[in-house]
Amino acid sequence: MADGTDPLERRLGRDDFLKLAALAGGTTLLAGPAAAARAAGAQLAAESGRLQVLDWAGYGNDGGQAMFAAYVKKHPKNKPQFTYMTNESDALAKMHAGLKPDIFRPYVGWVKYFAQSGLVEPWNPKLIPSFKNLNPFMVKAGQYNGKQYGIPEDWGFDAVLYRSDKVHPKAKSWSLLFDERYKGRIAWFDDLNMLVIAGLLLHIPKPWHMTDSQLDKAQRFLISKKHLARMIWSSETDMDNAFASGDIWIAYAWPNDWVQMRAKKLKVVYMRPKELPVAWVGMLMLGKGTPRRKLAHAYADAWSSTPSAKWLENNYGYGHANIKARPSSSDLLRALQLTNPKAVTEPNAHLDRDIPRRAVYARKWEEVKAS
Amino acid sequence: MNVALSRRGVWLLRSFFAVVVIFLYAPIALLVVFSFNNSQLPSFPLSGFTLHWYHQFLVNADLRSALGTSALVAAISSVGAVLLGVLASIALVRRRFRLKSPVSALLLSPLVIPYVVFGISLLLFFHAAGIPRSVLTVVIGHIVISLPYTILVLMPRLQQIDVSLEEAAYDLGASRLRAFRSVTLPLLLPAVVSAYLIAFTTSFDEYAVASFVVGTRSTFPIFLYSALRFPNQLPQVIAVAVVVISVSLVVVIGAEVGRRVAERRLG
Amino acid sequence: MGRGQGVLTVSEAQARRRRLRPDFTTPGLLGLPLAWLAVFFLVPIAIVGLYSVGRLTLDPGPHTVTLAAWREFLHSPIYLKLFWKSVKMSLVVSVIVVALAYPLAYYLALSGTKRKYVLLLLLIAPFLTSYLLRVLAWKVILGNQGVINSFLFWTGLRSPDHPISQLLYSRFAVMLVLGYIWLPFVALPIFVTLESLDRRLFEAATDLGATRWQTFRRVTLPLSLPGVFAAFLFVFIPTLGEFVTPSLVGGASGYMYGNQIVDLFGTGFPDWQTGSVLALFLLGVVAVLTIVFSRFLQTREVTAG
Repeated sequence: MADGTDPLERRLGRDDFLKLAALAGGTTLLAGPAAAARAAGAQLAAESGRLQVLDWAGYGNDGGQAMFAAYVKKHPKNKPQFTYMTNESDALAKMHAGLKPDIFRPYVGWVKYFAQSGLVEPWNPKLIPSFKNLNPFMVKAGQYNGKQYGIPEDWGFDAVLYRSDKVHPKAKSWSLLFDERYKGRIAWFDDLNMLVIAGLLLHIPKPWHMTDSQLDKAQRFLISKKHLARMIWSSETDMDNAFASGDIWIAYAWPNDWVQMRAKKLKVVYMRPKELPVAWVGMLMLGKGTPRRKLAHAYADAWSSTPSAKWLENNYGYGHANIKARPSSSDLLRALQLTNPKAVTEPNAHLDRDIPRRAVYARKWEEVKAS
Repeated sequence: MNVALSRRGVWLLRSFFAVVVIFLYAPIALLVVFSFNNSQLPSFPLSGFTLHWYHQFLVNADLRSALGTSALVAAISSVGAVLLGVLASIALVRRRFRLKSPVSALLLSPLVIPYVVFGISLLLFFHAAGIPRSVLTVVIGHIVISLPYTILVLMPRLQQIDVSLEEAAYDLGASRLRAFRSVTLPLLLPAVVSAYLIAFTTSFDEYAVASFVVGTRSTFPIFLYSALRFPNQLPQVIAVAVVVISVSLVVVIGAEVGRRVAERRLG
Repeated sequence: MGRGQGVLTVSEAQARRRRLRPDFTTPGLLGLPLAWLAVFFLVPIAIVGLYSVGRLTLDPGPHTVTLAAWREFLHSPIYLKLFWKSVKMSLVVSVIVVALAYPLAYYLALSGTKRKYVLLLLLIAPFLTSYLLRVLAWKVILGNQGVINSFLFWTGLRSPDHPISQLLYSRFAVMLVLGYIWLPFVALPIFVTLESLDRRLFEAATDLGATRWQTFRRVTLPLSLPGVFAAFLFVFIPTLGEFVTPSLVGGASGYMYGNQIVDLFGTGFPDWQTGSVLALFLLGVVAVLTIVFSRFLQTREVTAG
């Protein structure tokens, strides 16, 4: 982890010293002492070390290598070093504990929170050539106060995945996650978004802005149904394994999980609930005060490029904000509604958005887990 | 005649003992089997022999770094725990003082605190004191945890060592420290080594407290835990598991045997 | 008089001993260990107390002391119910494990086997290897396609459509794994107690006409109770605060009190005050238990060679 240090604070190793001496000697000959000092300083200030990336499982060296392969090719000395986050809350906790990522990936509902948090700084889109190909609606969603805090990359839905050979839903609805008939076969997602889902089912008009009494209602609903849930997953691969082995028949899931289960030859359906699925857009964010700004932009560019976007759509079943990318299978194209630039928002889906009372929601969700 | 057990009783209990031992070692044996299994999923039927997973984990830099961090923390914290343990044991065994009961209770109390509470207390302490979390904070926590174990190993041995040997040296004019160093310490050495090894294995394997106070580096248990939550590296992790368990079994058994042999010879 | 050679006379030696015996080396010896524990054990616990009453919080700055979090905790149906659930689970595990460990310790101590220490070591060794790895072993064994089930399919005892489900991600899984983890260790205090019983008591009982079973019931068992209580505490207290095993094999229903504490500290919106309350409550219960049971324990029994 020594590679992650700020270059200005890095102690001079012997190599650096020799390099500096050579540099100083060389430039002194050419341009005099002042220039030599400046050049030596510039050598130290050049971005170095591995790029510190805080990302979700599946997007790092555990399967997502194709997304940043172009970056690794151009910057072999600054290969990304990954730490995994289970969700944005977890990322926040890690950053409070001292982690200083150069790049991390919260989702669209958190853009405002992180922009205001002082933990991130805006990107310079001019340094990202592929930026111009990104979906303008999603680009706008990554802005705050006119600055580009988040670069949209992956997008998709939260919906219900179920085994069509074992499960016969009464309706295309989120209520399948709370169906008494399938007690012990259901997996919920470990996130306060479950309260939002409960809100949708209870016909609360603005589930992201619930009052205390509405929150209590949503919480009581979840608590009353908790005995049906076998798992409350925070690790996607954990849930995938449980689903693949048949421990779980119904899950709150992402499109990639549908792709994975189909690859395992399971009969699965990714259901679009009538209350509308929740949509998310991944937003790459730049850590404040990062010593590897240009490298970070290069990484973002690799992720935003058309070949990467195509790979993501073909392999993970997620959409990508790059509108030039089209998956090879028309099946996937239709399922993801990739021809619809507004697929992620009403009336098609509920786009994840800022929850002003997130801390209260978090407490209520913890209580659901405890009950 | 055995007054506590009849022949049949002995036979029954011996069988029960054997069954339990098999039950204890069977999961470990299964891990060994699956570490050589040529498949991503550990399940029957087996799919053929391979050394692939062992090779995989050897080239896994994150794993090696975690092992190194754990070794470092364990080595340093065990030195601290043994040092403090020797001091405390001498006081408890060789000295008479009024508050012996509460003092020994305090020294042994880290044994009974749930690690989740202790981990959190350290987290809050370091946060309030402005000390950033790091390898050092883990070392501090592990010294506290290992201290009772070292005391429990050192005290009985110290009791066995005849105090009059040290007294004799002292009577002959040696200083107290010299008497201790030349007479008692060599006799205590097997227990010191044993205490060090117990502290080492305790620290190396410790997850709960470390997870609260380690900053951004991973110890081996923390790496393991993450690998268990994101099980796409499961076969590799199983290979590591087999290696670590084998090594610790050998170390633990070897250490205990060695200690007994050494103590018998030293008297 | 012989001083030049560094040798003292008898009276000089006795005088020296008498002078220094009420010695001041005890504070010197104990100073460091006690100071370490005071700073890194007692003070942190006190700090948890301060957080629980709001005197200290996550953000710096002065705050007022308030018992609101404690009141909320004691009045909320959720937390105490969760605590009680954890108590029940730990009780079941502890009782079963102690009951299983007793015959093991009895065999080792009283059967007259020559290799008792080797066998004891054999029994305890797994406990000294990695905890997480042993939990991993069970995760592998218990799943729907895990070892148990796939073995049953393979041998035809069950069809692949009907695996024994509910093995993994359940309260049962948590209790099974915790029992497995602690069983080796629990035999130790019972063994030590049985070992230290005076054999002449057994002979005396036999001479008085008692059968082996009567000897056991009237002599051995009562005398070994200190070891049994120690063993019970050794497993009950750690499992009460467990969070690792439940998070790996417990699923939604195996969620324990320790998990809630961890969640309250580990999320992006941590609630350190409530978390501290929960932690201190657990610590309080454990402390009371230890003190109550320590009347039955003798520390001598606990220090195994």
